[in-house]
Amino acid sequence: MNYIVETFNLSKKFVQIKGLNSSLFRPFKKKDTLAVNSVNIQVKQGETFGLIGPNGAGKTTLIKLLCCLILPTDGTAKVVGYEILKDEEKLKAAIGMVGGDERNFYWRLTGRQNLIFFAALYNLSTQETNKRIEYISSLLKINDYLDKRFDSYATGLKQRLAIARSLLHNPQVLFMDEPTKSLDFQTSKDLRVFIRDRLVHEQKKTVIFSTHNLYEAVYLADRLAIMDKGQIKAFGTIYELREIVKNNNATIEEIFLSLTEG
Amino acid sequence: MFFRKVLVFVKRDFLIESSYKLQFILTWLNIFGSIAIFYFIAKLFGKEVSSHLGEYGGQYFPFAFIGIAFSGYLAIALTSFSRNIRTEQMMGTLEAIFLSPTNAAILIIAMSIWNFIFASISILIYFLFGVFFFGINLSNANFFGAMIPFILSIISFSSIGIISASFVMIFKRGDPITWGITLFSNFLGGAYFPITVLPNNLQFVSRLLPSTYSLRSIRLALLQGYNYKMLISDISILLLFCFILLPISLLIFQYAVKKAKKDGTLVCY
Repeated sequence: MNYIVETFNLSKKFVQIKGLNSSLFRPFKKKDTLAVNSVNIQVKQGETFGLIGPNGAGKTTLIKLLCCLILPTDGTAKVVGYEILKDEEKLKAAIGMVGGDERNFYWRLTGRQNLIFFAALYNLSTQETNKRIEYISSLLKINDYLDKRFDSYATGLKQRLAIARSLLHNPQVLFMDEPTKSLDFQTSKDLRVFIRDRLVHEQKKTVIFSTHNLYEAVYLADRLAIMDKGQIKAFGTIYELREIVKNNNATIEEIFLSLTEG
Repeated sequence: MFFRKVLVFVKRDFLIESSYKLQFILTWLNIFGSIAIFYFIAKLFGKEVSSHLGEYGGQYFPFAFIGIAFSGYLAIALTSFSRNIRTEQMMGTLEAIFLSPTNAAILIIAMSIWNFIFASISILIYFLFGVFFFGINLSNANFFGAMIPFILSIISFSSIGIISASFVMIFKRGDPITWGITLFSNFLGGAYFPITVLPNNLQFVSRLLPSTYSLRSIRLALLQGYNYKMLISDISILLLFCFILLPISLLIFQYAVKKAKKDGTLVCY
């Protein structure tokens, strides 16, 4: 079977400075941290795949590895048929990413000016850009705010603009790193409905997302991967995960706690 | 597509810069102030001709005027790449930019084009102030003769600037290249005084700096009307700097991006 995202023993080790040595030639005490440890996952086209795990589990690192924003120490991955180490530009053109950080826009520009700027970086012509902005902004219901400056946007609106940017070039796969982080209850709920109904069901996007919200994960994901200390502890549908923990009535919380040290 | 990308970067930077209106106005006032300072310093010396200034026509004010104008421009070439990378890191937009399918070398160049456009407009205004308010005489100037060393100087300094941006990409703060070159260029590159006033050993160091050849050839073209044939030795040295520095700088920058991705520090500041 051909998968749209597939990883092969993907690993990432970070070297962290943990203090000072007395030696002048080796001034720093260093420690290796295995942020992603031999991860092997396969995601099917059109699937919504959730990554859950405690803080520091390696979810964001895994997403960044798949988006070519971090280079792996070992192993590799294929996204839309492109290998992360060999076909970086083609791969980037085929994916979109929504981060949880609202800073990654130009605050003194309007939403539209921001989108036009990023569309050009994705090689869209002026005509295509205008068409896509109109289409996506009506999809996300942000038309009325597009010509206002980004610094006047509420957090929910900023997140919707981040989704708009990630959809500009009509990517096949969308990575979402904690997309509802710092959103209020109602805005999170609306965004979840949007992701499931519009992006996945209507637009047929493959979505890989990370979250700390276990109920959000169950609501959105066709399959879930539970990560801890860089490793995938288990992955599958909620029913498959119940089988793994040998409890047919287990809640996602119980599954999570039994598979992690959280 | 390269030009479209450059264009959107220029448009973005223009929109952001012009949203800081006071800063925009102060920049122009600053130009006027800096010329005035050297105009009055030059008045101290009167019309007396210094032997060190003989080859440039003998007057200090035109010498300093051109030195300040072009060393300022070259400082932009030197610092804008690293400053832009640092700004994108601080704003959190660097990751979003690097997520796009755009080559890192194209990004670093496109990010800085606005700085060059702004510096070009500034230098034009600087010359208008100089000619119309402070009586700079450019009747002998050979603008085409000055253009060749000027372009080569921009390429040389930009290459050093890209190397310095590579340091910022990896170490975030603390860029020894800009610090060193700015210090040496201002002091030893002949921006404020001819290098012939320096002791012999310092003159030797001056000859290792591209600004020495840039400023001398531009001054000779603008003040004495030298053509490019008469400036061939300076132009050849600048050309050599370009051939060596430009490919090296782009390779170093690609390496720095790779290193930041390896360390996972692309968004760190």
